[in-house]
Amino acid sequence: MASVVLSVTLSILLLVSHSLFAQDSSVQALAILDKVDNLWRGESSYSNLTMRVKTKNYQRELNMESWSLGEEYAFIRILSPIKERGTVTLKSDVNIYTYLPKTDRTIRLTAGMMSGSWMGSHFTNDDLVKESQLSEDYFVQYEHRGQSEFGEIYKLTLIPREESAVVWGKIEIEVDAQNYIPIREYFYDEDGELVRVISFHDVKKLGDRLLPVRMQVVPQDEPDEYTEIVYRSIEFDVPIEQGFFSLANLRRR
Amino acid sequence: MYFELLVMAWRNLMRRKRRTNITAVSIGFAVFLAITFTGMGDDSYKNMINTSVKLGFGHVTVQASDFHLRPTADKYLRDVNKLYEEIVGQPGIEHAATRIITGGLVASAHKQVGGMLMGINVAQETPDINLFQQAIVAGRWLAPEDSRVAIIGVGMADKLNINLGKKLVYTITDVDGEIVSDVVRVVGIFDTGMLELDQGQVLLPLRFLQHTLNYKNDQATLIGIYIEDHREAEQIRDSLNESIIVPDGEILSWQQSQSELAGMINVDRGSNQILQGLVGLLVAAGIMNTMLMSVLERTKEFGVLLAIGMSPIKLVYLVLWESIWLGLLGLMLGIMICIPWYYYMDRVGIDFSQLMGENASVAGVAIDPVIHLKLYPETVTTILVGVFLFTLLASLYPAIRAGRILPLEALKEL
Repeated sequence: MASVVLSVTLSILLLVSHSLFAQDSSVQALAILDKVDNLWRGESSYSNLTMRVKTKNYQRELNMESWSLGEEYAFIRILSPIKERGTVTLKSDVNIYTYLPKTDRTIRLTAGMMSGSWMGSHFTNDDLVKESQLSEDYFVQYEHRGQSEFGEIYKLTLIPREESAVVWGKIEIEVDAQNYIPIREYFYDEDGELVRVISFHDVKKLGDRLLPVRMQVVPQDEPDEYTEIVYRSIEFDVPIEQGFFSLANLRRR
Repeated sequence: MYFELLVMAWRNLMRRKRRTNITAVSIGFAVFLAITFTGMGDDSYKNMINTSVKLGFGHVTVQASDFHLRPTADKYLRDVNKLYEEIVGQPGIEHAATRIITGGLVASAHKQVGGMLMGINVAQETPDINLFQQAIVAGRWLAPEDSRVAIIGVGMADKLNINLGKKLVYTITDVDGEIVSDVVRVVGIFDTGMLELDQGQVLLPLRFLQHTLNYKNDQATLIGIYIEDHREAEQIRDSLNESIIVPDGEILSWQQSQSELAGMINVDRGSNQILQGLVGLLVAAGIMNTMLMSVLERTKEFGVLLAIGMSPIKLVYLVLWESIWLGLLGLMLGIMICIPWYYYMDRVGIDFSQLMGENASVAGVAIDPVIHLKLYPETVTTILVGVFLFTLLASLYPAIRAGRILPLEALKEL
């Protein structure tokens, strides 16, 4: 009898100490994640960027300019190629609108269209909407500090909360331990199979921040394909009103 | 009607037994063909309709107005629980089930596909009214306490590269037109054999889908009503329309809610009837030929009858009576062929699975590869009366011809 009580007490103690330890490391991990999350985030931003898409069937390069306000609003306009100049994607809260200057039409994407590729890239429209704060949807479960070819890094493992509407089983993030800049993000399904990898390159000072200006997405089932986004310039906290992100503005710009 | 001619007509027929038999067989064959064609058609229509209604809408649908034309989440029924109680209390209604139907996007880590989501109240569902419940091949069916779970088809599991226990994220448009997502875990997988369904249908607990869509507990898309005989759908709809009030809603028969299927069936039935009409014409031409022959070869005989004072009208009736006897003989023969045939087709049927291939469906509805006969009493009556009338009609001209015989001319013949 006494031994049973003892072992129960022991295991409870073990459990408590384990969770205490876990909590401690997760607090630290959360702090790192928040820094990563806020890297691109200002109250508002204006940026010039280039998107390169390479698939089996085609290769294309788009130049765009983009405005954002908080997490809810984004306004992305294509500058070149000429054929698509003026095409606008407007993200307003959870809705996405596309404006096509050629036909002078605004389309509000329905739930069924969210699976479509955004501008022919490896991002879906859904990716644009779900671009949420990672710490809201995931438990940061594990952290360790180590060496890699990029120098000292933190490695975080993100496990989605049971009720979060995310498809991934797990995300692993490698963060540069000095500047808190992400190096790689690995997206796994629930069976632990790697589905896509996002890598960050070319850290430069843009505006007032140190940022990786090139970002590459590689779907693991098509390793020869990728989508790459290169920031040519980015300004944070630019003066911009919420009214800018309106349907009326789609046509005017 | 000159009933005294009855016996005489019969004797006339029996004088030429072989010709009578051949003609009777051809009438019997017409009956057989009509029974087979109509029976096969009705059987496949019955199967298609009963399969189609089990996909969600029911034989009779109580739904938010115009939902079947533009299925969006802002169209819903209020007070469905009260409505459900009222409906199941009505005569002629076997089952009913409250459902939410909405389209959206279904995603796993690997892929995203478009799909139809159906929220169901497990307590109201049975395998008899829900095709998917019959078709579970892995995992389990939904349970009343389920919340964050889903049942998907084999095709979708394959496409999304997921299995039992794995999660699935769906994105739909909610009651206010906002895009919303939720995550569920797969607890069961069905295989209906219909490609579109197996790749595109997701079943969820009604409560949970209500929660995602921002519906209240007593709001749903529709109530599907199931009845014994699909042909009574319109009648049940009309009587429901009189006995219950559906605020902002309407009551449809399956012909309205599944108009694509109804249209297809009508076209098929129409072409079937044309075909049967043509076969009927051929048989009628044969009968006319036989009767005309038998009248012409008896010209002298009829001439004598007229000469000794029989009225021409009696001759007309005589020939008509002969054709009536012939028709009745043919019908008897037809019935004699059809009874064992029907018995066989009902028990065994003809297996067409070799010819149809893997995924046999019409207008999205699977067809049973084994063909049976479905005979409704009124169909049989219509066919029998129809064939009999055809026989009578075909002998009208020979009969009139007999009445026009001039005794003097007739007697001159050999």
